[in-house]
Amino acid sequence: MLNMSDNDSVQTRNWNVLVFMAGVVILFTVLLVRLFSLQYLDYDENFQRSENNRLRRVVLVAERGFIYDRNGEVMVRNRPSYQIALQAMHLPRKKEERAAIFDRLLHIVDKNGERMFDSLSLDTAFQRTAWIKNRPIRILEDASPEQVAVIEEHSSELPGVTTLIESRREYPYGTLASHVLGYTSEISEEQLKLPEFADYSQGDRIGQKGLEQHYDSEFRGKNGLKLVEVNAMGREVGLVRGVESEPPVPGLHLVSTIDLKLQKVAEDAIADSVKGALVAIDPRNGEILAMVSSPRLDPNIFSLKKRERNKGWAQVALDSMRPLTNRAISGTYPPASVFKLVTAGAGLENGILSETKYYPKSCTGGYQFGSRYQKCWGVHGNLNVVHALRLSCDVFFYQAGLDIDMARINEFGRRFGYGEKPLGIDIPGEKAGWLPDSASFNERNKRVGWRWARGLILNLSIGQGQLVTPLQQATFIGSLATNKGVYRPHLMKELRDYKGNVVKEFEPEIVRPGKMKPETHRILLAAMDSVVNHPGGTGKRGALPGIRVGAKTGSGEWKKGEKTHAWYAAVAPLYDPQIAVAVILEAAGGGGAKAAPIARKVMMAYFGIEEEAKK
Amino acid sequence: MKLDHFLDNTRKVDWLFLGITLALMTSGVCLVYSATANDNLPFYETLWFKQILYFAGGCLLAAGIVFLRLDWLKRATVPLYVLSLVFLFVVLFVAGDVVKGAGRWIDLGFFKLQPSEFAKIAYLLTISYWLSRHPVSLYKIKTFVVPALLFIVPFGLVLKQPDLSTALVFIAVTYVAFFFAGLTLTDMFLLASPVLSVLFSHSQELVFQVLWGLLICAVVFALVRRKLPKVLTVLFLAANILAGYASSMAWNMLEPHQQKRVHTFLDPTSDPKGDGYQVLQSLTAIGSGGLTGKGFGQGTQTNLAFLPEEHTDFIFSVLGEQFGFAGCLFILVLYTLFLWRASSTCKLFADPFITLITMGACTIFLFHMIVNIAMTIGLMPVTGLPLPFLSYGGSFALTCMVLVGGILCMRFQGWRQ
Repeated sequence: MLNMSDNDSVQTRNWNVLVFMAGVVILFTVLLVRLFSLQYLDYDENFQRSENNRLRRVVLVAERGFIYDRNGEVMVRNRPSYQIALQAMHLPRKKEERAAIFDRLLHIVDKNGERMFDSLSLDTAFQRTAWIKNRPIRILEDASPEQVAVIEEHSSELPGVTTLIESRREYPYGTLASHVLGYTSEISEEQLKLPEFADYSQGDRIGQKGLEQHYDSEFRGKNGLKLVEVNAMGREVGLVRGVESEPPVPGLHLVSTIDLKLQKVAEDAIADSVKGALVAIDPRNGEILAMVSSPRLDPNIFSLKKRERNKGWAQVALDSMRPLTNRAISGTYPPASVFKLVTAGAGLENGILSETKYYPKSCTGGYQFGSRYQKCWGVHGNLNVVHALRLSCDVFFYQAGLDIDMARINEFGRRFGYGEKPLGIDIPGEKAGWLPDSASFNERNKRVGWRWARGLILNLSIGQGQLVTPLQQATFIGSLATNKGVYRPHLMKELRDYKGNVVKEFEPEIVRPGKMKPETHRILLAAMDSVVNHPGGTGKRGALPGIRVGAKTGSGEWKKGEKTHAWYAAVAPLYDPQIAVAVILEAAGGGGAKAAPIARKVMMAYFGIEEEAKK
Repeated sequence: MKLDHFLDNTRKVDWLFLGITLALMTSGVCLVYSATANDNLPFYETLWFKQILYFAGGCLLAAGIVFLRLDWLKRATVPLYVLSLVFLFVVLFVAGDVVKGAGRWIDLGFFKLQPSEFAKIAYLLTISYWLSRHPVSLYKIKTFVVPALLFIVPFGLVLKQPDLSTALVFIAVTYVAFFFAGLTLTDMFLLASPVLSVLFSHSQELVFQVLWGLLICAVVFALVRRKLPKVLTVLFLAANILAGYASSMAWNMLEPHQQKRVHTFLDPTSDPKGDGYQVLQSLTAIGSGGLTGKGFGQGTQTNLAFLPEEHTDFIFSVLGEQFGFAGCLFILVLYTLFLWRASSTCKLFADPFITLITMGACTIFLFHMIVNIAMTIGLMPVTGLPLPFLSYGGSFALTCMVLVGGILCMRFQGWRQ
């Protein structure tokens, strides 16, 4: 008892404590009055409600938007899928009764005499009921109607086992345009933790890759909600009176720029055993008309039940041909001789090359640079730029490249879409490629210790050493022909709501300048023309009857002793460009022989020209 | 001699208070058991067993706290206060784990520290220590400067988390601390009057308008009687009138989810699919308990898991459904005894530090009890404040036991002085 002298303050303090306790009593009394009114005055009503009106919130899942091709053909739709699930809150609480249900489920066999459930996964599901009370736990995915019938028949013996209808993605054309479309799968635990997936909840299906991923938020729509009464068995009795349901808002439908007819022709032209890619694009606005990456995968496997899905997934994931990669946008290859158009363009643009410019060394099958002898693929004699492009002569471009210098060549290439930045296509995974110059070459090869040397220009000026995607090749040749800028390549034409109203249209957008002097343009077009339409041109197998095609072939060296990558980039009609096509076939041989006929087929289909019966 | 010493020490422990606490903890474990009982789990994985472990840990902690000497405590206030601010900063700007959209935890590996819980205790110590040496008075406005500064930093940081309900705990503690550090009942009324003004003028109904008029009259009367400095007189009047007219403006400043909560609070049925769902289910559960309840483990609402978060924030609904009005009354009586016994500790000593610590701890308990129970019976908006000793949860169980330890410590160490 230290300081009792200040008696007054102690008395005040004690009085204040009393006031505090009085406050406590008053506040608690208020609570008790409310409790009394709830538990005594309104007891009957509340008791009835707790007995009969068992309220339950039911999420009404919004229908995922479809994908159509540009002519309105369905490319992706939904199908109903039955799920058999455990409802933890309706399972009996007693251990023995649960075990009985477990046994009953385990002994259900389908008409082939096979067990519907395996004991391991059933056991896991039963264990999970301990944690997950408010959500159904799936025990059989994508069940067949017969399986559902069996469960429904025995529903009275199986309290807590329910059937749910979900909607799953269906791709009616299977592997067709699979890399463009992507697929859907259940959202993963890792994704759920990320802030950008805050709107998603467990069990939601989410788009993976392709359009399914990029436009997922548009496809999803908005889930609805209803408040229902359920009975003690957990079956719905009806809606709660006076509470309006919130209907789901279906997701938006996407009308793609893809032309299904063209896509089919392109898919048929490239066998699944070949690694390769094809891109057909409208250079006037960047709409992609067809995009193939081979080998393909069937996105339908991701909608199957777990066991089959895992099997399918293991197959594609472990395949050494890497069918999961969309080579059209993620595959980077040396551009090969197609790049000679860039070298030529840079030379013409800077006044270093012209139609009358000849180099002192004519092509005798190779070129001596210092101590090195660089070969050409033929013996071409002395050429000007147009002839050199037609014959794809290396010796001419070795000398031109040394003359023009890498900085100018790369500047011209970037102007038309090659280089360090992706073009911004609206599906994920696009690569930027690489245009080496001394700085970036040294940076990239620091680890191996390689340094930039002037001799490298020789290879780079004929397109060996850069990295480009097939998409870049297609946009390049297309914008070269239009000379009106490089448009952002895109696959979405418009988004429509479920009533068919257009909600959003893709606005064409110029992402690279894509312009050159008219003189340069004229000479390059003449060269592209002669590649196809001159009897000695390397791309003559790409010619179309009645329509002038301009093109450039390429044969990319990638490994000593292996066949070259076959490149072909074409545009038609050359003086009024409507379609640009780039084809690559990995390790297939010469571009003019292997790739050109494929592009030709696609162009024939585009212009509606029937193949004449040759045989 | 030794025995005497031992008996002397045992006499310094408040056994009755300890007994009441134990009764509350037992009730809590029983309710958690009933809400989450599960045949399929081994007992050591069940929540009720975990809760026992938390309480056991808390008891050890409390036992340790009893032996902390008062002068140590006083010396430790500043470091603890600074440390708590550091934690709040860290969770806000560096290492916050996202739980339900709010970064409130620091993961220490073995334990998930909730800095706002720690800050509650550190702030209670600090404000008590300061006010015990520097009483406040409305006639000397300067006396409020330091307490205001001490208050505003942790309050702001907690509010920023954003954790409105915990931030309100800080206000409650400060408010009651002022009462025990020199302010009179009239002063307390004046301090609270702007808040009341907002509440009364929020509605355009006649009853509320009349109530507000009466309130303004009372404020004027109080001001005349207290003869406060002119600045304060004007300030209080202006605050009340402004609060009356600005309540709609303040309304617009609330975040949409807070607005929605207030709406739902005023009429839970207005949003039965969203926020009101919990309240409606809770009301049904409690109401269907009747006077004597459905019996232990017999709650249909809670057993069928209609009620989300039944074992944490809505544990009182489990109580109401299974034990009815009698059960609720029993718990509220226990709570009253608990607070009475705790607050009477300070009557034994003259040291204002002891008074402030004890009453501050009581305030923290009371605030949680009122806000949580009022929420489950639809009298207040749905907030995330747990119910002392009854709700499941490790962090808050530890906070409660630290506070209990603190109260026991005040009595034990008070005698030693």
